[in-house]
Amino acid sequence: MAESVPAPDPPVRVGRRRRPAARRPAADAREEGQTEQLGQRAVELSRFYAGKIETVPKVPVRSLHDFSVWYTPGVAAVSRAIHADRELAFDLTGRWNTVAIVTDGSRVLGLGDIGPHAALPVMEGKALLFKFLGGVDAIPLPIEAASPDKFLSTVEAIAPAFGGVNLEDIASPKCFGLLEELARRLEIPVWHDDQLGTAAATVAGLLNALEVTGRAMPDIRTVLLGAGAANLATARLLLALGHDPARLSLVDHHGILHAERDDVDELSVRHPWKYRLALRTNGGGRTGDLARALEGADVVVAASTPVPGTLRREQVRTMAPDPIVFALANPAPEIWPDDARAAGAAVVATGRSDFPNQVNNSLVFPAVFRGVLDARARSVPDEIVLEAARELARGAQRKGIGPHHILPTMEELEVFPHVAAAVADAAVAAGVARRRQSHTEFLQRARTLMARPSRLARVLARAGLTPPMPRRSAGRRRAG
Amino acid sequence: MTATPPERAPPDRSTPPIRLRPARESDVAAVVPLLLRLKRLNEEFDPLLKVRDDAEAQAGGVLRAQIADPRSVFLVAEGAGAERDKVVGFVRAVVRERPFYAPELEGVIVDIYLLPLYRRRGVGEYLLREVTAALKAKGAGIVTAEFPAQNEIAVRFYSKRGFRPVTSIHARPL
Repeated sequence: MAESVPAPDPPVRVGRRRRPAARRPAADAREEGQTEQLGQRAVELSRFYAGKIETVPKVPVRSLHDFSVWYTPGVAAVSRAIHADRELAFDLTGRWNTVAIVTDGSRVLGLGDIGPHAALPVMEGKALLFKFLGGVDAIPLPIEAASPDKFLSTVEAIAPAFGGVNLEDIASPKCFGLLEELARRLEIPVWHDDQLGTAAATVAGLLNALEVTGRAMPDIRTVLLGAGAANLATARLLLALGHDPARLSLVDHHGILHAERDDVDELSVRHPWKYRLALRTNGGGRTGDLARALEGADVVVAASTPVPGTLRREQVRTMAPDPIVFALANPAPEIWPDDARAAGAAVVATGRSDFPNQVNNSLVFPAVFRGVLDARARSVPDEIVLEAARELARGAQRKGIGPHHILPTMEELEVFPHVAAAVADAAVAAGVARRRQSHTEFLQRARTLMARPSRLARVLARAGLTPPMPRRSAGRRRAG
Repeated sequence: MTATPPERAPPDRSTPPIRLRPARESDVAAVVPLLLRLKRLNEEFDPLLKVRDDAEAQAGGVLRAQIADPRSVFLVAEGAGAERDKVVGFVRAVVRERPFYAPELEGVIVDIYLLPLYRRRGVGEYLLREVTAALKAKGAGIVTAEFPAQNEIAVRFYSKRGFRPVTSIHARPL
């Protein structure tokens, strides 16, 4: 799922809005051209600004004398206090608001296993999103790790500096074990955005799509196409929300996942998370391909390959009346929205900002981290993730939901602090919060902290400290 | 695997869900796919256990020979409810002579396989108990089990039930 950025206050626009009408196949070529242009621009600007984030002091420094307080000898007393009570690090240092963005670079965007060095610009971009949308100080930390154990021990070793860990762009199924193990070892929330961010946004959209089409979770039959990080997490969340496991089917390259599929023993060794779902789901004992899975299904959530035609009109036609179709592959959805609607889909969602109903993990992770950091949570159990999804769904409801509005757009910024506060409340309710405040206090705090970065950016731009973007270099501009 | 009946209910996990009986010639066709599943699982643990291309062709003969062999034990597990007549697992064992050690007859469990939905429900333990009794009835004074060294699930399964490593087989390709 690609993240997209809303238009924030300062004139920073990433990605342009495209009309739904501009599409395939001529449009595909045009989009490729646009992507290439954006890529060239990104390289230009990355060179010009030499990176996307920097650290900035948050305390006054009137003269070098002040360092006797900020640094030695004064700071020794602060260290002594934390030595006596570790939790004080959340009061006396920036730990409360600092998150590590950790990757091994094993599955970066659609680029695959490009390693930690090449993953750095992506993690910098993520850090920028964290700051802009969540008011979170996020540090890009690509790690060169020869083995999963080395990765685990490295993240464990750096944890004292952080209030949370965001895992990013780690290959499946390795990502599941790493997340589980880190969550077990660390006393701070550990989140894998490719699993949880996407799954929470999907579930939020689905809750409203069910509402719009008059369905209830326990009754629906759902097909998840693609059994990667996002859909396996979505499956888990749906089951936690009362989806009947027997009426949930996962479909991957080998067809419908079921307990007697030929590769199921291999999964038990190589991919226990998928194996467990193979035993639990697809109670009807259906075997076969996607087409067979979709017959009579109410919902399909496709998070597979960005190839239009992966889901076909005639397959959507065999679904239950008024089906719900989420085609989340980026940049090209598994089926174009107008094709899905022509085949009878009542609600269609994609991963793109230029169609209605964008399922976007950027709707989730900044607010989730704002919330767990404000509650100083020790972990982020699924009940918190579900609360984030529910609040996101409520956020859309406040504006009124319908087939074209099941999720807030990235422009509906007022939703973010509400999700943050709901997450903080959920952390308190789950008993994992180090700090308990009222809903109003959490909400106010989130609003203040989330508003700060765009103010900062405005001030820095006005003062000329952030230079304006240079014009596109003429030689590289593409004709047409 | 033979196609499962469409829309069957998931098996009830609360009751012992299988019946065990000696294998017959007519079971061979149903056991072959299960045997191949087991061998492919073994391959997952070690590339030196790579399954041959003609393994399926081999399997029928091996199983039929075993049914005919008076020194072997070959039991099949049938499911319950809707899967009452379906073979959902099997266990194979042979009695071997030990010319230098006592006791002189060793019952060797060669294969145990259960379809995933029948695992973790005490069925494996039941299979082990029954095959052990059958080996004992054939004169075995010691029971052993063969499985890939890397299969930690099997190591735990047998360790819990009083088994310990006795001989090791080390290999290198030539």
